[in-house]
Amino acid sequence: MASGRSDATTDADALLAQLRAFEGRPSGPPAEARDEVNQAMIRHWVDAMGDDNPVYVDEESARANGFPGVVAPPTMLQAWIMRGYLSQPDGAWKAQRDASGEASAQEQLFDALNAAGFTSVVATNCDQEYVRPIVLGDRLTVTSVIDSVSPEKHTGLGDGHFVTTRLEFTDQHGERVATMRFRILRFRPQSSRPKDVALRPRPAITHDIAFFFEGARNGTLLIQRCAQCGVLRHPPRPACASCGSFEWDTVTASGRGTVYSFVVVHHPQVAAFDYPLPIAVVELEEGTRLVGDLIGIDPADVEIGMPVVAEMVAVDDELTIPMFRPAVPVGAGRVGAVTGDA
Amino acid sequence: MAEATRYYEDVEEGDEAPASSHTLTRTDLVRYAGASGDYNPMHHDEVLATAAGQPSVFGHGMFSMGLLGTALTDYVGPGNLTHYKVRFSRQTWPGEELTTKIVVTGKRVEDGRNLVDLECSLANGDGEVKVVGEATAVLPSKS
Repeated sequence: MASGRSDATTDADALLAQLRAFEGRPSGPPAEARDEVNQAMIRHWVDAMGDDNPVYVDEESARANGFPGVVAPPTMLQAWIMRGYLSQPDGAWKAQRDASGEASAQEQLFDALNAAGFTSVVATNCDQEYVRPIVLGDRLTVTSVIDSVSPEKHTGLGDGHFVTTRLEFTDQHGERVATMRFRILRFRPQSSRPKDVALRPRPAITHDIAFFFEGARNGTLLIQRCAQCGVLRHPPRPACASCGSFEWDTVTASGRGTVYSFVVVHHPQVAAFDYPLPIAVVELEEGTRLVGDLIGIDPADVEIGMPVVAEMVAVDDELTIPMFRPAVPVGAGRVGAVTGDA
Repeated sequence: MAEATRYYEDVEEGDEAPASSHTLTRTDLVRYAGASGDYNPMHHDEVLATAAGQPSVFGHGMFSMGLLGTALTDYVGPGNLTHYKVRFSRQTWPGEELTTKIVVTGKRVEDGRNLVDLECSLANGDGEVKVVGEATAVLPSKS
């Protein structure tokens, strides 16, 4: 609709104006590195990277290569000011912010993006400029500024805004040692993306068992009966285990039964099923047993012996199968017990 | 490894730095999380990552940048790199063999400094590019 379209455009414009207002603002207060540039952190980093350049760990090699002493790898830059676990949402930084009562500009910007549905994030670019090598003993401080926020862009991941942050690294003398620009995409997850609808596994429908699924499609629970001795059997098979006869017919079961045994499946999970998945062996009042999903009940409430009733459930266009539902709604049964025969 | 000093006169446009390869493991990601302070759980918590719809944990972008950075500093010398920028184009996954490619794209003298421009990328065994970037280094002159 034209009006809806123009409303959406106006909303996007208003949002962009709101986001653009953050450009040029410090992301937060300057952050001083918690530790001076030190050998232990460098060693952990080069070990993790598999970087065996000796200038990062050996004074003599560093000097032989023209450095005043051991240097830090240039791409380790960010590690000096990362707050590690503290920067996680429930970490000490949040506590600090809560104490000061004020969200940083970066938090406000991200809040605004979240509120507009741009809740996912991915790093897209990193740009580092090195002014001089960082050496043992340097004490770094980072000043971070929201450089730019892009208009809404269509990307392979979804629609979103690019946010570029500029981080200036200075040393203990206030001299700039490096600059880093870090660009992220805050995007709206593509929830409208057509999900592959997972189908339940297809049963192998043979001559012997076809009647069962056909009955289910017609809303009846059919049980195979030996035409010679009358014994019921399930699952369907060609011959009677009692008398050996190949002659059989079917009876329409009432669908009433009780839980003979059950399991609740948590793992492994297969698409098309909801978990936790309660599955019961149900003893029908006609006297045979069959396996089916339990529906309409919290798995924690399932009990052996509880009365259930069959319900034919069309799980997709092609497949209808019997499932079992508590005969008395759980909870209502207890009320019934108190109030007598309502 | 640090090698003998590479001089401005030693490199020509079109030269390629030696490629290096590394097969990414979950242990790499845990070590990098600890070493870098980047504890985004998508990089080490398989349960959370799969719940978020990812096939598994995946590599930090900055780990890829660091791998490629190591190949760059091995080529030009750690103190000579002045500018290095990358675009993260694909996620990296445990089990992928990541190989660097670095090509000299130009040489220029600016403000009396001998600058070498390089193009660099990191790709998996199928040639899928994970990180693509550019770098500039100042190399000493023999003269």
